Amino acid sequence: MSSSPVFPSIETGLHAAQPMEVIKVLVQRSMMRVRRMPSAFIPSLIMPVFQLIAFSGAFGFAVTSLGIKNALDWYVPLNAIQGASFGAVGVSFGLINDMQTGFFDRILLAPTRRWVMVAAPLAAAIVRCIVPVAFVIIVGFLGGMNTPGGLLALVCVAISAIGIGLVSCAFALGLTFRIQNLGAATLTQFGIFFTIFLSTSQVPISAMTGWLRSVARINPMTNVLRLARQGFLGDVTWEGSWGGLLAIAVLLLLSCWYAMTGIKKFDQ
Amino acid sequence: MNIAITDPHLMKSGRSLRSLFQHSFVLTKRSVLGRLRQPAIIAPSFIFPLFFAALGSASFHKLAEDPYFTKNIATSFLNYAIAGAVLQGVLFASISAAADLAIDIEQGFFERLLASPISRTSIVLGRLAGSMVVAMFQVTIFLMIFIGAGARIKSGPFGFLGLVIGGALLSLAMSAMMAGLAIKSGSSEVVQSAFPLIFVLMFLSSAFFPRHYMSGWYRTVADWNPISHIVEGFQGFINQELDFSQFAKAWLLPLAVAIVSIFFALRSLSKRLAGS
Repeated sequence: MSSSPVFPSIETGLHAAQPMEVIKVLVQRSMMRVRRMPSAFIPSLIMPVFQLIAFSGAFGFAVTSLGIKNALDWYVPLNAIQGASFGAVGVSFGLINDMQTGFFDRILLAPTRRWVMVAAPLAAAIVRCIVPVAFVIIVGFLGGMNTPGGLLALVCVAISAIGIGLVSCAFALGLTFRIQNLGAATLTQFGIFFTIFLSTSQVPISAMTGWLRSVARINPMTNVLRLARQGFLGDVTWEGSWGGLLAIAVLLLLSCWYAMTGIKKFDQ
Repeated sequence: MNIAITDPHLMKSGRSLRSLFQHSFVLTKRSVLGRLRQPAIIAPSFIFPLFFAALGSASFHKLAEDPYFTKNIATSFLNYAIAGAVLQGVLFASISAAADLAIDIEQGFFERLLASPISRTSIVLGRLAGSMVVAMFQVTIFLMIFIGAGARIKSGPFGFLGLVIGGALLSLAMSAMMAGLAIKSGSSEVVQSAFPLIFVLMFLSSAFFPRHYMSGWYRTVADWNPISHIVEGFQGFINQELDFSQFAKAWLLPLAVAIVSIFFALRSLSKRLAGS
Protein backbone atom coordinates (compact mmCIF):
# COMPACT_ATOMS: atom_id res chain seq x y z
CA MET A 1 0.00 0.00 0.00
CA SER A 2 1.44 3.37 -0.92
CA SER A 3 1.87 6.20 1.54
CA SER A 4 -1.44 7.78 2.32
CA PRO A 5 -2.81 10.47 4.60
CA VAL A 6 -4.10 7.65 6.79
CA PHE A 7 -0.85 7.68 8.77
CA PRO A 8 0.07 11.32 9.06
CA SER A 9 1.43 11.01 12.55
CA ILE A 10 3.62 8.02 11.79
CA GLU A 11 4.94 9.34 8.53
CA THR A 12 5.53 12.95 9.40
CA GLY A 13 6.42 12.87 13.04
CA LEU A 14 7.78 9.53 14.23
CA HIS A 15 8.89 10.94 17.56
CA ALA A 16 5.32 12.10 18.24
CA ALA A 17 3.59 8.72 17.74
CA GLN A 18 1.74 8.36 21.02
CA PRO A 19 0.08 4.97 21.63
CA MET A 20 -3.47 6.37 21.64
CA GLU A 21 -2.77 8.29 18.47
CA VAL A 22 -1.51 5.16 16.69
CA ILE A 23 -4.46 3.13 17.94
CA LYS A 24 -6.87 5.78 16.66
CA VAL A 25 -5.26 5.84 13.22
CA LEU A 26 -5.17 2.04 12.96
CA VAL A 27 -8.84 1.81 13.97
CA GLN A 28 -9.71 4.40 11.33
CA ARG A 29 -7.77 2.36 8.79
CA SER A 30 -9.64 -0.79 9.77
CA MET A 31 -12.95 1.02 9.36
CA MET A 32 -11.82 2.27 5.97
CA ARG A 33 -11.25 -1.35 4.96
CA VAL A 34 -14.86 -2.14 5.95
CA ARG A 35 -16.09 0.74 3.80
CA ARG A 36 -13.91 -0.23 0.85
CA MET A 37 -14.55 -3.98 1.06
CA PRO A 38 -18.10 -4.32 2.39
CA SER A 39 -18.30 -7.83 0.90
CA ALA A 40 -15.84 -9.00 3.55
CA PHE A 41 -17.91 -7.55 6.39
CA ILE A 42 -21.50 -8.08 5.23
CA PRO A 43 -21.54 -11.88 5.83
CA SER A 44 -20.73 -11.29 9.51
CA LEU A 45 -23.74 -8.98 9.58
CA ILE A 46 -26.18 -11.19 7.69
CA MET A 47 -25.29 -14.63 9.04
CA PRO A 48 -26.23 -13.98 12.70
CA VAL A 49 -29.56 -12.52 11.61
CA PHE A 50 -30.21 -15.46 9.33
CA GLN A 51 -29.27 -17.88 12.10
CA LEU A 52 -31.54 -16.03 14.49
CA ILE A 53 -34.44 -16.50 12.09
CA ALA A 54 -33.48 -20.11 11.32
CA PHE A 55 -32.95 -21.20 14.93
CA SER A 56 -36.06 -19.51 16.28
CA GLY A 57 -38.11 -20.83 13.35
CA ALA A 58 -36.78 -24.39 13.38
CA PHE A 59 -36.13 -25.00 17.07
CA GLY A 60 -38.74 -22.61 18.46
CA PHE A 61 -40.98 -25.42 19.64
CA ALA A 62 -38.13 -27.14 21.52
CA VAL A 63 -37.37 -23.92 23.41
CA THR A 64 -40.90 -22.70 24.10
CA SER A 65 -41.94 -26.15 25.34
CA LEU A 66 -39.36 -25.64 28.11
CA GLY A 67 -41.26 -22.59 29.42
CA ILE A 68 -39.50 -19.81 27.49
CA LYS A 69 -42.09 -17.32 26.24
CA ASN A 70 -40.57 -16.52 22.87
CA ALA A 71 -37.80 -18.37 21.05
CA LEU A 72 -36.24 -15.00 20.16
CA ASP A 73 -35.62 -14.35 23.88
CA TRP A 74 -33.40 -17.42 23.87
CA TYR A 75 -31.68 -16.98 20.53
CA VAL A 76 -31.06 -13.19 20.30
CA PRO A 77 -28.24 -13.23 22.91
CA LEU A 78 -26.69 -16.32 21.28
CA ASN A 79 -26.68 -14.80 17.82
CA ALA A 80 -25.49 -11.44 19.11
CA ILE A 81 -22.45 -13.17 20.63
CA GLN A 82 -21.89 -15.20 17.50
CA GLY A 83 -22.18 -12.14 15.25
CA ALA A 84 -19.82 -10.15 17.45
CA SER A 85 -17.18 -12.85 17.51
CA PHE A 86 -17.25 -13.49 13.77
CA GLY A 87 -17.23 -9.74 13.11
CA ALA A 88 -14.22 -9.31 15.39
CA VAL A 89 -12.30 -12.14 13.75
CA GLY A 90 -12.55 -10.13 10.51
CA VAL A 91 -9.82 -7.90 11.93
CA SER A 92 -7.36 -10.77 11.64
CA PHE A 93 -8.19 -11.13 7.92
CA GLY A 94 -7.03 -7.54 7.56
CA LEU A 95 -3.87 -8.28 9.52
CA ILE A 96 -3.08 -11.27 7.29
CA ASN A 97 -3.54 -9.06 4.25
CA ASP A 98 -1.19 -6.48 5.75
CA MET A 99 1.38 -9.19 6.45
CA GLN A 100 1.17 -10.52 2.91
CA THR A 101 1.54 -7.08 1.33
CA GLY A 102 4.39 -6.15 3.67
CA PHE A 103 2.46 -3.26 5.18
CA PHE A 104 2.57 -4.77 8.64
CA ASP A 105 6.38 -4.74 8.57
CA ARG A 106 6.22 -1.03 7.95
CA ILE A 107 3.85 -0.55 10.88
CA LEU A 108 6.31 -2.45 13.05
CA LEU A 109 8.95 0.14 12.16
CA ALA A 110 6.86 2.84 13.79
CA PRO A 111 8.38 4.09 17.05
CA THR A 112 5.62 2.73 19.23
CA ARG A 113 5.23 -0.06 21.73
CA ARG A 114 4.34 -3.59 20.64
CA TRP A 115 1.20 -3.75 22.79
CA VAL A 116 -0.25 -1.05 20.56
CA MET A 117 -0.15 -3.56 17.69
CA VAL A 118 -2.50 -5.75 19.71
CA ALA A 119 -4.57 -2.98 21.26
CA ALA A 120 -5.34 -1.30 17.93
CA PRO A 121 -6.95 -4.37 16.30
CA LEU A 122 -8.84 -5.01 19.55
CA ALA A 123 -10.20 -1.46 19.48
CA ALA A 124 -11.19 -1.94 15.83
CA ALA A 125 -12.84 -5.22 16.82
CA ILE A 126 -15.09 -3.40 19.30
CA VAL A 127 -16.46 -1.24 16.49
CA ARG A 128 -16.89 -4.31 14.28
CA CYS A 129 -18.73 -6.11 17.11
CA ILE A 130 -21.21 -3.35 17.82
CA VAL A 131 -22.73 -3.32 14.33
CA PRO A 132 -23.87 -7.00 14.15
CA VAL A 133 -24.99 -6.93 17.81
CA ALA A 134 -27.15 -3.87 17.15
CA PHE A 135 -28.50 -5.47 13.98
CA VAL A 136 -29.48 -8.69 15.77
CA ILE A 137 -31.12 -6.79 18.65
CA ILE A 138 -33.13 -4.63 16.24
CA VAL A 139 -34.35 -7.73 14.37
CA GLY A 140 -35.19 -9.29 17.76
CA PHE A 141 -37.29 -6.29 18.74
CA LEU A 142 -39.04 -6.32 15.38
CA GLY A 143 -39.79 -10.00 15.91
CA GLY A 144 -41.38 -9.36 19.31
CA MET A 145 -38.58 -10.32 21.70
CA ASN A 146 -39.22 -9.68 25.43
CA THR A 147 -36.83 -7.82 27.73
CA PRO A 148 -38.16 -8.16 31.29
CA GLY A 149 -34.71 -7.08 32.51
CA GLY A 150 -35.18 -3.69 30.82
CA LEU A 151 -32.16 -1.67 29.75
CA LEU A 152 -29.87 -3.89 31.83
CA ALA A 153 -30.77 -6.79 29.55
CA LEU A 154 -29.26 -4.90 26.62
CA VAL A 155 -26.23 -3.92 28.71
CA CYS A 156 -25.64 -7.57 29.64
CA VAL A 157 -25.91 -8.78 26.06
CA ALA A 158 -23.59 -5.97 24.89
CA ILE A 159 -20.97 -6.81 27.55
CA SER A 160 -21.13 -10.51 26.71
CA ALA A 161 -21.01 -10.02 22.95
CA ILE A 162 -18.23 -7.43 22.97
CA GLY A 163 -16.31 -9.45 25.57
CA ILE A 164 -16.41 -12.62 23.50
CA GLY A 165 -15.70 -10.58 20.36
CA LEU A 166 -12.52 -9.27 21.99
CA VAL A 167 -11.52 -12.74 23.15
CA SER A 168 -12.02 -14.08 19.62
CA CYS A 169 -10.08 -11.21 18.10
CA ALA A 170 -7.16 -11.55 20.54
CA PHE A 171 -7.02 -15.31 19.99
CA ALA A 172 -7.14 -14.80 16.21
CA LEU A 173 -4.31 -12.24 16.45
CA GLY A 174 -2.19 -14.60 18.52
CA LEU A 175 -2.71 -17.36 15.98
CA THR A 176 -2.14 -15.02 13.02
CA PHE A 177 1.17 -13.79 14.45
CA ARG A 178 2.24 -17.42 14.74
CA ILE A 179 1.08 -19.04 11.51
CA GLN A 180 0.79 -15.91 9.33
CA ASN A 181 -1.82 -17.14 6.88
CA LEU A 182 -5.59 -17.29 6.38
CA GLY A 183 -5.72 -20.59 8.25
CA ALA A 184 -5.46 -18.59 11.49
CA ALA A 185 -8.79 -16.85 10.96
CA THR A 186 -10.44 -20.07 9.78
CA LEU A 187 -9.16 -22.01 12.78
CA THR A 188 -10.41 -19.28 15.11
CA GLN A 189 -13.84 -19.41 13.48
CA PHE A 190 -13.94 -23.17 14.00
CA GLY A 191 -12.91 -22.68 17.62
CA ILE A 192 -15.65 -20.11 18.23
CA PHE A 193 -18.22 -22.27 16.48
CA PHE A 194 -17.51 -25.36 18.57
CA THR A 195 -17.17 -23.43 21.85
CA ILE A 196 -20.52 -21.75 21.32
CA PHE A 197 -22.40 -24.86 20.23
CA LEU A 198 -20.94 -27.03 22.99
CA SER A 199 -22.66 -24.85 25.58
CA THR A 200 -26.28 -23.96 26.27
CA SER A 201 -26.61 -22.56 22.77
CA GLN A 202 -29.72 -24.56 21.83
CA VAL A 203 -31.39 -25.57 25.10
CA PRO A 204 -30.79 -25.10 28.85
CA ILE A 205 -28.54 -27.61 30.64
CA SER A 206 -31.58 -29.18 32.32
CA ALA A 207 -32.90 -30.27 28.91
CA MET A 208 -29.60 -31.77 27.76
CA THR A 209 -28.45 -35.32 28.07
CA GLY A 210 -25.24 -37.34 28.10
CA TRP A 211 -21.93 -35.97 26.84
CA LEU A 212 -23.28 -32.55 25.87
CA ARG A 213 -24.54 -31.92 29.39
CA SER A 214 -21.09 -32.73 30.84
CA VAL A 215 -19.28 -30.55 28.29
CA ALA A 216 -21.71 -27.63 28.63
CA ARG A 217 -21.31 -27.64 32.42
CA ILE A 218 -17.57 -26.97 32.19
CA ASN A 219 -17.69 -24.75 29.11
CA PRO A 220 -17.15 -21.09 30.14
CA MET A 221 -19.47 -20.05 27.31
CA THR A 222 -22.39 -21.44 29.33
CA ASN A 223 -21.74 -18.77 31.98
CA VAL A 224 -21.37 -16.07 29.34
CA LEU A 225 -24.68 -17.09 27.75
CA ARG A 226 -26.34 -17.04 31.18
CA LEU A 227 -25.10 -13.48 31.65
CA ALA A 228 -26.32 -12.47 28.19
CA ARG A 229 -29.72 -14.14 28.45
CA GLN A 230 -30.80 -13.32 31.97
CA GLY A 231 -32.40 -9.97 31.11
CA PHE A 232 -34.39 -11.57 28.28
CA LEU A 233 -35.78 -14.35 30.48
CA GLY A 234 -36.24 -12.47 33.77
CA ASP A 235 -34.52 -9.93 35.99
CA VAL A 236 -30.83 -9.16 35.88
CA THR A 237 -29.17 -10.39 39.08
CA TRP A 238 -25.62 -10.53 40.41
CA GLU A 239 -26.02 -14.29 40.78
CA GLY A 240 -26.68 -14.61 37.08
CA SER A 241 -23.92 -12.19 36.15
CA TRP A 242 -20.73 -12.90 38.06
CA GLY A 243 -19.96 -16.25 36.42
CA GLY A 244 -20.16 -14.74 32.94
CA LEU A 245 -18.15 -11.66 33.88
CA LEU A 246 -15.45 -13.83 35.43
CA ALA A 247 -15.37 -16.12 32.39
CA ILE A 248 -14.99 -13.14 30.05
CA ALA A 249 -12.24 -11.59 32.22
CA VAL A 250 -10.22 -14.83 32.40
CA LEU A 251 -10.63 -15.60 28.69
CA LEU A 252 -9.68 -12.04 27.79
CA LEU A 253 -6.59 -12.16 29.94
CA LEU A 254 -5.49 -15.48 28.45
CA SER A 255 -6.19 -14.51 24.86
CA CYS A 256 -4.42 -11.13 25.22
CA TRP A 257 -1.41 -12.91 26.69
CA TYR A 258 -1.53 -15.29 23.71
CA ALA A 259 -1.63 -12.34 21.31
CA MET A 260 1.25 -10.53 23.07
CA THR A 261 3.48 -13.61 23.08
CA GLY A 262 2.50 -14.10 19.43
CA ILE A 263 3.72 -10.67 18.37
CA LYS A 264 6.96 -11.25 20.27
CA LYS A 265 7.47 -14.49 18.35
CA PHE A 266 6.66 -12.69 15.13
CA ASP A 267 9.31 -10.07 15.95
CA GLN A 268 11.92 -12.73 16.58
CA MET B 1 -28.44 -34.48 -26.49
CA ASN B 2 -25.32 -32.42 -25.80
CA ILE B 3 -23.13 -35.35 -26.63
CA ALA B 4 -24.07 -34.72 -30.22
CA ILE B 5 -23.30 -31.03 -29.90
CA THR B 6 -19.90 -31.52 -28.32
CA ASP B 7 -18.74 -34.44 -30.42
CA PRO B 8 -20.98 -35.31 -33.39
CA HIS B 9 -19.24 -38.59 -34.14
CA LEU B 10 -19.05 -39.88 -30.64
CA MET B 11 -22.41 -41.61 -30.36
CA LYS B 12 -22.50 -43.06 -33.86
CA SER B 13 -20.93 -46.36 -33.03
CA GLY B 14 -20.78 -48.81 -30.19
CA ARG B 15 -17.04 -48.26 -30.07
CA SER B 16 -17.49 -44.55 -29.39
CA LEU B 17 -20.01 -45.31 -26.68
CA ARG B 18 -17.51 -47.70 -25.16
CA SER B 19 -14.83 -45.04 -25.22
CA LEU B 20 -17.24 -42.61 -23.54
CA PHE B 21 -17.61 -45.10 -20.69
CA GLN B 22 -13.88 -45.77 -20.57
CA HIS B 23 -12.99 -42.09 -20.43
CA SER B 24 -15.72 -41.42 -17.87
CA PHE B 25 -14.42 -44.29 -15.78
CA VAL B 26 -10.86 -42.94 -15.79
CA LEU B 27 -12.04 -39.43 -14.92
CA THR B 28 -14.32 -40.84 -12.21
CA LYS B 29 -11.33 -42.59 -10.71
CA ARG B 30 -9.32 -39.37 -10.88
CA SER B 31 -12.15 -37.45 -9.23
CA VAL B 32 -12.52 -39.96 -6.38
CA LEU B 33 -8.77 -40.16 -5.77
CA GLY B 34 -8.56 -36.38 -5.89
CA ARG B 35 -11.19 -36.18 -3.16
CA LEU B 36 -9.56 -38.82 -0.99
CA ARG B 37 -6.15 -37.17 -1.33
CA GLN B 38 -7.50 -33.91 0.10
CA PRO B 39 -8.71 -34.93 3.55
CA ALA B 40 -8.70 -31.30 4.71
CA ILE B 41 -11.32 -30.47 2.09
CA ILE B 42 -13.48 -33.55 2.54
CA ALA B 43 -13.28 -33.55 6.37
CA PRO B 44 -15.79 -30.71 6.98
CA SER B 45 -18.46 -32.65 5.06
CA PHE B 46 -18.01 -35.44 7.61
CA ILE B 47 -17.34 -33.47 10.80
CA PHE B 48 -20.10 -30.85 10.67
CA PRO B 49 -23.06 -33.13 9.84
CA LEU B 50 -22.01 -35.64 12.50
CA PHE B 51 -21.45 -32.83 15.00
CA PHE B 52 -24.88 -31.31 14.34
CA ALA B 53 -26.54 -34.71 14.60
CA ALA B 54 -24.81 -35.42 17.92
CA LEU B 55 -25.66 -31.94 19.16
CA GLY B 56 -29.30 -32.26 18.10
CA SER B 57 -29.79 -35.66 19.66
CA ALA B 58 -28.25 -34.48 22.96
CA SER B 59 -30.22 -31.21 22.94
CA PHE B 60 -33.64 -32.24 21.64
CA HIS B 61 -33.93 -35.76 23.01
CA LYS B 62 -36.99 -34.69 25.02
CA LEU B 63 -38.92 -34.38 21.79
CA ALA B 64 -39.05 -38.18 21.80
CA GLU B 65 -41.34 -37.89 24.83
CA ASP B 66 -44.01 -36.41 22.55
CA PRO B 67 -46.31 -39.24 21.42
CA TYR B 68 -46.83 -37.62 18.01
CA PHE B 69 -43.08 -37.66 17.38
CA THR B 70 -42.57 -41.29 18.36
CA LYS B 71 -45.65 -42.48 16.51
CA ASN B 72 -45.29 -40.55 13.24
CA ILE B 73 -41.74 -39.30 12.93
CA ALA B 74 -39.01 -41.30 14.67
CA THR B 75 -38.37 -43.37 17.75
CA SER B 76 -35.56 -41.09 18.94
CA PHE B 77 -34.06 -37.76 17.91
CA LEU B 78 -30.87 -39.57 16.88
CA ASN B 79 -32.92 -41.61 14.41
CA TYR B 80 -34.48 -38.38 13.19
CA ALA B 81 -31.13 -36.61 12.81
CA ILE B 82 -29.61 -39.25 10.51
CA ALA B 83 -31.38 -38.01 7.39
CA GLY B 84 -30.39 -34.39 8.04
CA ALA B 85 -26.77 -35.40 8.54
CA VAL B 86 -26.75 -37.44 5.32
CA LEU B 87 -28.30 -34.55 3.40
CA GLN B 88 -25.89 -32.01 4.86
CA GLY B 89 -22.83 -34.18 4.22
CA VAL B 90 -23.80 -34.97 0.64
CA LEU B 91 -24.59 -31.34 -0.19
CA PHE B 92 -21.32 -30.05 1.28
CA ALA B 93 -19.28 -32.72 -0.51
CA SER B 94 -21.04 -32.03 -3.82
CA ILE B 95 -20.23 -28.33 -3.66
CA SER B 96 -16.57 -28.99 -2.99
CA ALA B 97 -16.49 -31.57 -5.82
CA ALA B 98 -17.82 -28.94 -8.22
CA ALA B 99 -15.30 -26.47 -6.85
CA ASP B 100 -12.60 -28.98 -7.87
CA LEU B 101 -13.90 -28.83 -11.42
CA ALA B 102 -13.70 -25.03 -11.31
CA ILE B 103 -10.13 -25.33 -10.01
CA ASP B 104 -9.34 -27.60 -12.97
CA ILE B 105 -10.56 -24.81 -15.23
CA GLU B 106 -8.63 -22.13 -13.34
CA GLN B 107 -5.41 -24.13 -13.35
CA GLY B 108 -5.62 -25.09 -17.01
CA PHE B 109 -6.14 -28.84 -16.56
CA PHE B 110 -9.55 -28.53 -18.21
CA GLU B 111 -7.92 -27.04 -21.33
CA ARG B 112 -5.46 -29.92 -21.42
CA LEU B 113 -8.35 -32.38 -21.24
CA LEU B 114 -9.98 -30.58 -24.16
CA ALA B 115 -6.76 -30.85 -26.13
CA SER B 116 -6.62 -34.61 -25.58
CA PRO B 117 -8.60 -37.09 -27.69
CA ILE B 118 -11.28 -37.84 -25.11
CA SER B 119 -15.00 -37.46 -25.08
CA ARG B 120 -16.04 -33.96 -23.93
CA THR B 121 -19.08 -35.34 -22.18
CA SER B 122 -16.95 -37.65 -20.07
CA ILE B 123 -15.29 -34.60 -18.49
CA VAL B 124 -18.61 -33.77 -16.84
CA LEU B 125 -19.87 -37.33 -16.42
CA GLY B 126 -16.61 -38.44 -14.79
CA ARG B 127 -16.87 -35.67 -12.24
CA LEU B 128 -20.53 -36.43 -11.50
CA ALA B 129 -19.93 -40.16 -11.18
CA GLY B 130 -16.99 -39.45 -8.87
CA SER B 131 -19.24 -37.34 -6.72
CA MET B 132 -21.81 -40.15 -6.56
CA VAL B 133 -19.16 -42.70 -5.52
CA VAL B 134 -17.94 -40.40 -2.74
CA ALA B 135 -21.55 -39.84 -1.62
CA MET B 136 -22.23 -43.59 -1.42
CA PHE B 137 -19.07 -44.07 0.59
CA GLN B 138 -19.98 -41.13 2.83
CA VAL B 139 -23.57 -42.26 3.48
CA THR B 140 -22.37 -45.79 4.28
CA ILE B 141 -19.87 -44.45 6.82
CA PHE B 142 -22.48 -42.14 8.34
CA LEU B 143 -24.97 -44.98 8.73
CA MET B 144 -22.39 -47.25 10.31
CA ILE B 145 -21.46 -44.51 12.80
CA PHE B 146 -25.11 -43.84 13.64
CA ILE B 147 -25.89 -47.53 14.04
CA GLY B 148 -22.86 -47.78 16.32
CA ALA B 149 -24.25 -44.85 18.32
CA GLY B 150 -27.56 -46.65 18.83
CA ALA B 151 -29.70 -45.70 15.83
CA ARG B 152 -31.94 -48.34 14.26
CA ILE B 153 -33.10 -48.62 10.66
CA LYS B 154 -36.68 -49.80 10.75
CA SER B 155 -36.82 -50.97 7.15
CA GLY B 156 -33.61 -52.98 7.53
CA PRO B 157 -31.00 -53.52 4.80
CA PHE B 158 -33.38 -52.26 2.10
CA GLY B 159 -33.76 -48.98 3.96
CA PHE B 160 -29.98 -48.81 4.31
CA LEU B 161 -29.55 -49.36 0.59
CA GLY B 162 -32.40 -46.97 -0.20
CA LEU B 163 -30.65 -44.23 1.73
CA VAL B 164 -27.27 -44.91 0.12
CA ILE B 165 -28.83 -44.71 -3.37
CA GLY B 166 -30.86 -41.66 -2.36
CA GLY B 167 -27.66 -39.96 -1.18
CA ALA B 168 -25.95 -40.79 -4.47
CA LEU B 169 -28.85 -39.39 -6.51
CA LEU B 170 -28.92 -36.21 -4.44
CA SER B 171 -25.19 -35.89 -4.94
CA LEU B 172 -25.70 -36.32 -8.70
CA ALA B 173 -28.33 -33.58 -8.72
CA MET B 174 -26.32 -31.10 -6.66
CA SER B 175 -22.97 -31.86 -8.33
CA ALA B 176 -24.48 -31.43 -11.78
CA MET B 177 -26.04 -28.11 -10.78
CA MET B 178 -22.78 -26.87 -9.28
CA ALA B 179 -20.71 -28.32 -12.15
CA GLY B 180 -22.87 -26.30 -14.55
CA LEU B 181 -22.10 -23.23 -12.49
CA ALA B 182 -18.40 -24.12 -12.39
CA ILE B 183 -18.19 -24.57 -16.17
CA LYS B 184 -20.21 -21.44 -16.83
CA SER B 185 -18.20 -19.22 -14.48
CA GLY B 186 -14.84 -21.00 -14.50
CA SER B 187 -14.36 -19.77 -10.95
CA SER B 188 -14.14 -21.82 -7.78
CA GLU B 189 -15.06 -18.70 -5.83
CA VAL B 190 -18.42 -18.50 -7.60
CA VAL B 191 -19.11 -22.16 -6.81
CA GLN B 192 -18.16 -21.68 -3.16
CA SER B 193 -20.35 -18.60 -2.97
CA ALA B 194 -23.35 -20.85 -3.66
CA PHE B 195 -22.68 -22.46 -0.28
CA PRO B 196 -24.66 -19.89 1.78
CA LEU B 197 -27.65 -20.42 -0.49
CA ILE B 198 -27.56 -24.18 0.13
CA PHE B 199 -27.07 -23.50 3.83
CA VAL B 200 -30.17 -21.29 3.89
CA LEU B 201 -32.23 -23.85 1.95
CA MET B 202 -31.16 -26.55 4.38
CA PHE B 203 -32.11 -24.56 7.46
CA LEU B 204 -35.45 -23.52 5.96
CA SER B 205 -36.42 -27.18 5.69
CA SER B 206 -37.15 -30.08 7.98
CA ALA B 207 -33.51 -31.26 7.85
CA PHE B 208 -32.88 -30.36 11.49
CA PHE B 209 -36.34 -30.31 13.05
CA PRO B 210 -39.71 -31.78 12.04
CA ARG B 211 -42.07 -29.55 10.06
CA HIS B 212 -44.90 -30.57 12.35
CA TYR B 213 -43.45 -28.40 15.13
CA MET B 214 -42.82 -25.32 12.99
CA SER B 215 -45.33 -22.51 12.65
CA GLY B 216 -46.09 -19.35 10.66
CA TRP B 217 -44.24 -18.30 7.54
CA TYR B 218 -41.31 -20.54 8.45
CA ARG B 219 -43.56 -23.57 8.21
CA THR B 220 -44.92 -22.39 4.87
CA VAL B 221 -41.40 -22.00 3.46
CA ALA B 222 -40.41 -25.42 4.81
CA ASP B 223 -43.55 -26.94 3.24
CA TRP B 224 -42.59 -25.60 -0.18
CA ASN B 225 -38.89 -26.31 0.13
CA PRO B 226 -37.99 -29.42 -1.94
CA ILE B 227 -35.18 -30.17 0.54
CA SER B 228 -37.86 -30.88 3.16
CA HIS B 229 -39.43 -33.54 0.98
CA ILE B 230 -36.11 -35.15 0.04
CA VAL B 231 -35.00 -35.32 3.67
CA GLU B 232 -38.37 -36.72 4.72
CA GLY B 233 -37.95 -39.41 2.09
CA PHE B 234 -34.60 -40.24 3.66
CA GLN B 235 -36.21 -40.27 7.10
CA GLY B 236 -38.86 -42.64 5.81
CA PHE B 237 -36.21 -45.23 4.94
CA ILE B 238 -34.93 -45.12 8.51
CA ASN B 239 -38.03 -44.69 10.61
CA GLN B 240 -40.87 -46.34 8.69
CA GLU B 241 -41.67 -49.47 6.75
CA LEU B 242 -40.83 -49.22 3.05
CA ASP B 243 -43.45 -47.62 0.83
CA PHE B 244 -43.64 -45.86 -2.52
CA SER B 245 -43.74 -42.32 -1.10
CA GLN B 246 -40.22 -42.72 0.31
CA PHE B 247 -38.87 -43.75 -3.08
CA ALA B 248 -40.71 -40.89 -4.76
CA LYS B 249 -39.29 -38.34 -2.34
CA ALA B 250 -35.79 -39.74 -1.85
CA TRP B 251 -35.10 -41.07 -5.34
CA LEU B 252 -37.42 -39.57 -7.94
CA LEU B 253 -37.26 -35.99 -6.72
CA PRO B 254 -33.43 -35.83 -6.74
CA LEU B 255 -33.45 -37.71 -10.05
CA ALA B 256 -35.74 -35.11 -11.61
CA VAL B 257 -33.49 -32.32 -10.34
CA ALA B 258 -30.47 -34.28 -11.61
CA ILE B 259 -31.87 -34.56 -15.15
CA VAL B 260 -32.44 -30.81 -15.35
CA SER B 261 -29.05 -30.11 -13.76
CA ILE B 262 -27.14 -32.46 -16.09
CA PHE B 263 -28.78 -30.73 -19.03
CA PHE B 264 -27.63 -27.39 -17.58
CA ALA B 265 -24.09 -28.69 -17.03
CA LEU B 266 -23.77 -30.12 -20.55
CA ARG B 267 -25.22 -26.97 -22.05
CA SER B 268 -22.69 -24.89 -20.12
CA LEU B 269 -19.96 -27.18 -21.44
CA SER B 270 -21.19 -26.74 -25.03
CA LYS B 271 -21.21 -22.97 -24.63
CA ARG B 272 -17.70 -23.00 -23.17
CA LEU B 273 -16.48 -25.20 -26.04
CA ALA B 274 -18.16 -22.97 -28.58
CA GLY B 275 -16.58 -19.95 -26.92
CA SER B 276 -13.12 -21.46 -26.97
